[in-house]
Amino acid sequence: MNNGMEIWLFAVSLGASALGGILGMAGGIFLVPTLTIFGKIDIHTAVGASLVSVIACSCGGAASFLNGRLTNVRLAIVLETATTLGALTGVLLSGIIPLSCLYFLFAVILLLSAQQMLARRGASTGSSDLPAPGRWSSALRLDSTYPDRALGRDVAYQVRRVPVGLMLMYGAGLISALLGIGSGVLKIPAMDTALRLPIKVSSATSNFMIGVTAAASASAYFMRGDIVPAVAGPVALGSVAGAAVGARLLQLVPNEKLRLLFVLILVGLSIQMLLRAVGVHSIGASR
Amino acid sequence: MTVTAPRLPRLERLLAGLLNVGSWVASIVIGLGFALTLIDSQSGTRNLAILPNMQIVKIGIALFILLPTLRVLLMLVVFLRERDYRYSMIAALVLAIILMAFVIGVRTAARAPA
Repeated sequence: MNNGMEIWLFAVSLGASALGGILGMAGGIFLVPTLTIFGKIDIHTAVGASLVSVIACSCGGAASFLNGRLTNVRLAIVLETATTLGALTGVLLSGIIPLSCLYFLFAVILLLSAQQMLARRGASTGSSDLPAPGRWSSALRLDSTYPDRALGRDVAYQVRRVPVGLMLMYGAGLISALLGIGSGVLKIPAMDTALRLPIKVSSATSNFMIGVTAAASASAYFMRGDIVPAVAGPVALGSVAGAAVGARLLQLVPNEKLRLLFVLILVGLSIQMLLRAVGVHSIGASR
Repeated sequence: MTVTAPRLPRLERLLAGLLNVGSWVASIVIGLGFALTLIDSQSGTRNLAILPNMQIVKIGIALFILLPTLRVLLMLVVFLRERDYRYSMIAALVLAIILMAFVIGVRTAARAPA
């Protein structure tokens, strides 16, 4: 492995994490397809490196969310029981699932993400059909407040339907371990629709959780030897830098054009992964 | 519950500190490993030194993987000191699951052909 490859890995991770950071998520969903399609890196190695990237994004960004009092730490640890259990299942499955299935699953997740991005997030916070706060939320004292900059005061919120949230989180953990992503695509509906969290709280708490979820699967892959330092090292460094850049860009770029750009990227990557799934090695995929 | 003062609670402050410092330390260790590799390749001693340098990178990656686990451990300690046993149990459960993943990794590595 020469220095050129390391620089390429660093740059790609920086770009992926910056893109992810703009969306308030880790860059794994861009990183794994790029590494496998353009870097010709084995998908298990790419997944391992991407999990390290997810951890780096989570840990690097957590402090600012915590300091902004947006992260619901208690809710995070409750949901982490489900995400880590899902990750454990994913680790067990990852050795068994055929590669073509893995590519196919990734293509589906990419398409779902694209669709989710088209459907405007957070428009559905109507207060009419709110389910009653359950026993879980009061027993675990999950309800909290967060500071709203626009209103200039603390806003109280209640956490609802915790069991449904836990089930979705198990799925998110499983997908995360299999594909090396933070799986915001499953966490966002879980947080917004099931638990009914305010968007800022949901983003911050999700960012906090993906680190632990990825750590569960990454520790298994690390011990198994699926995490290659020459690949994961530059990826980790690029991700830390990219996440910082993404957080800055978040305030600068206009929203609508950006959303369309992301949809195009996601659909493009999805098609490439689908081609991989059926065994076609895409045209012009050399670095 | 009354309106709380905008001061950051102790647990959140501790967690932010740990994750911030931890990210820096892990990044610096990985960066150091690559810097040494680069220096070696410039001075032509690459073949002799590439293994230990990659080992440094590997340690940095291990630190990153360990960091969220340490975060859960810190939460466990804080919950225990607050005598919040329900949450102590939850944090302990998460730690146990991560440990199980680690063990699965070790065992499957032992079985796989090298």
